[in-house]
Amino acid sequence: MKGYILRRLGYSLVSLFLLSVTIFLFVRVTGDPAVLLVEPGASKDDLEMIRQQFGLDQPLPVQYGSFITSLLRGDFGQSFYYRTPVLELYLSRLPHSLLLAGAAMVFSLVVGIPTGIIAAVRVNRWWDSVGKIFALLGLSMPSFWVGLLMILFFSVYLGWLPSSGSGTLLHLVMPAIALGWVFAAAHMRLTRSSMLEVLGSEYVKLARLKGLPEALVISKHAFKNALIPVLTLAGINLVIMVNVAVVVETVFAWPGVGRLLYEGIAFRDFPVVQATVLLGGAMIVIVNLLVDILYAVIDPRIRY
Amino acid sequence: MARALAILALLLLGWTAPLNAAPEGTMTWGLHVTLASRWLDPAETEALITPFMVLYAIHDALVKPMPAGPNTPSLAESWSVSKDGLTYEFVLRKLATFHNGDPVSADDVKFSFDRYKGAAAKLLKDKVREVQVVDARRVRFHLKEPWPDFMTFYGTSASGAAWIVPRKYVEKVGDDGFKKAPVGAGPYRVVSFTPGVELVMEAFDGYWRKTPSVKRLVFRSIPEEATRAAALKNGEVDIVYLLSGPIAEDVRRTPSLQLVPSQPPAVFWLEFLDQWDPKSPWHDRRVRLAASLAIDRQAVNQAETLGFSRPTGSIIPRAFEYALSFDPPPYDPRRAKQLLVEAGYPNGFDAGDFYPFPPYTSMGEAVAGYLQALGIRTRIQTMERATFLTAWREKKFKGLVMGITGAAGNAATRLEAYVTNGGIYAYGVVPEVEDLFQRQAREQDRARRETLLHQIQKILHERVMHAPIYELAFIWGVGPRVEESGADLIKGHAYSAPYEDLRLRKQ
Repeated sequence: MKGYILRRLGYSLVSLFLLSVTIFLFVRVTGDPAVLLVEPGASKDDLEMIRQQFGLDQPLPVQYGSFITSLLRGDFGQSFYYRTPVLELYLSRLPHSLLLAGAAMVFSLVVGIPTGIIAAVRVNRWWDSVGKIFALLGLSMPSFWVGLLMILFFSVYLGWLPSSGSGTLLHLVMPAIALGWVFAAAHMRLTRSSMLEVLGSEYVKLARLKGLPEALVISKHAFKNALIPVLTLAGINLVIMVNVAVVVETVFAWPGVGRLLYEGIAFRDFPVVQATVLLGGAMIVIVNLLVDILYAVIDPRIRY
Repeated sequence: MARALAILALLLLGWTAPLNAAPEGTMTWGLHVTLASRWLDPAETEALITPFMVLYAIHDALVKPMPAGPNTPSLAESWSVSKDGLTYEFVLRKLATFHNGDPVSADDVKFSFDRYKGAAAKLLKDKVREVQVVDARRVRFHLKEPWPDFMTFYGTSASGAAWIVPRKYVEKVGDDGFKKAPVGAGPYRVVSFTPGVELVMEAFDGYWRKTPSVKRLVFRSIPEEATRAAALKNGEVDIVYLLSGPIAEDVRRTPSLQLVPSQPPAVFWLEFLDQWDPKSPWHDRRVRLAASLAIDRQAVNQAETLGFSRPTGSIIPRAFEYALSFDPPPYDPRRAKQLLVEAGYPNGFDAGDFYPFPPYTSMGEAVAGYLQALGIRTRIQTMERATFLTAWREKKFKGLVMGITGAAGNAATRLEAYVTNGGIYAYGVVPEVEDLFQRQAREQDRARRETLLHQIQKILHERVMHAPIYELAFIWGVGPRVEESGADLIKGHAYSAPYEDLRLRKQ
């Protein structure tokens, strides 16, 4: 197990290095950030001065060398837009993203998993149809649209919830549902199909033949085994929620990492995009590793 | 006698009470932009109007645009220029202090200029030979040679060089520390700042001009337009910037809310890039005039900005110094068609690509539609903003561009970018225009300079070098609690200002 984890860590570092090269080059082919930081009629001198301040007048290898040496010291550079250290910005946004992602994940699991189980147990009946409609809506309605509808209804029409921002639990309700719905739908569908597969397996049939109560068959024998793929998906989804809740965070003016990434892309803020993508990549690597370890805990047959 | 004195004292108190009334209440803005830390430090002011939204609250300048005019003395009680145009002297106010209680001194002025690295920094430092601290309240700027635009760059929102920071405090906390906890000489001091999210400020009762009426100002970034409008309708914010189309219309229909336009110096126009190519139909003045007459500016204005923008016949904003105003060309499709026939294009022609300035694609499509109705066929090319600006600047476009700029300055600075040899967006130059431009740049006499700049604008107009469309209105939504929003108090300023003049309604 220890050897496996060390091997995986080595692969992860190689992946992150490749990611750093890729993101460094990709952001630079998207255009000149200097032109977005001044009025269109600004002078050549002003544009040139901005490029010099950001080091964009240097050759690409020099820029990459400077980027990677700073990175090794834990310095992700200064944001072009904010003019403050990127890591400081990222860390100030991360708690908001974790809070939103956590709430959205709780919503998606609390709604998605029971609905999926009921849909599988009552397959092709009324409950299953309700679940299918729920999943269809969640997957097909864009989250920005859901968000705007919720703002109009709960905030403007009913006046129950604040339309945007952060700070209280009430601020969290709408963004968490808007973000969590699509994931709830995905979790519901996967739970349903996984449960259906497990419910048709030999050991579940045996459990039933033994005369075990149906509730016990479902909860102990079927659900526990059906949970593995759902857990894998939830782990990856949590990382996605933290890092790319771009649309929801923008609609609700939620100060998270997704909005930071969106602004970084919009303003060609290379250091912000590089840091956000790299830290997001690191998060995916770590979560994947943790999920693999959790497999072993859940399923005793899995050994490394 | 004592009784009379007591009555007099009461009367005086009663008279002065409203003037010295303590600041009250909170005014909250829903901003269309992301609040950047760099806007808290005047030294980093870029060539954009946006940072001034924050600067007007926290900081103050020697001279700045105010309701009284574009170069209104502020921290300086007066300024003068020597007869040879080489020396500008500023005398500081006695009462002006920073938020930490330090007086604003000539040394702070010199320090602020020396550390300035924002818009026009290179230009200013190339032109200024020395900043001389004469005494604690007197500072002189010595120029290398006469430069008639010194005050345009130093004393307006064309740069942030005249905005003063406290030397001692900046040296103590450093540049990064200053951005985290700025100390200025403006009407409001910073209470808290969360980059990209929220800025909270409180009235500074030691502000020299007056004590602000509103106690607390809150700027909240709400990038999504529909959410901003919802926050306004919901009463969570009092003022929102940048509304357009159906959302603005919805705000207009809401009884308790108001739509208010401000007029930044931003002009839309159609640029005929191929007019310099003798083989192109655009080389013919009649074709350019036909295109200009074919555009129904008022209809486009109505559709895009609910009629708040101002159709124009010039690429220079009316509010600019040295601007020569021209009426917008009338919408006259019949005459446009006739001109096209006279030019030898009775069936129109294929004009190639049409690049609308991002994100104003729908406006570009409307203009392209009018050209199409005349027989001038174009293909709309939508691009991402940075790519568009780079391609325009590097002169990679052919066909038509629908441009806009809101850069601060005067007629000369606006003309320079688009119609002169040094212009970064100029695809061609009329020698006569270039000659006049060089002459005005050396001219010290204001009236003669104005004549030269007016001549240039007349030439551009007569040659129909552009088809100006309108001066863009920047539309705000204002909630019921606001008595004075500060819209358009300062001509050409897009945002609320001066903040010390804002008022909430009495509850």
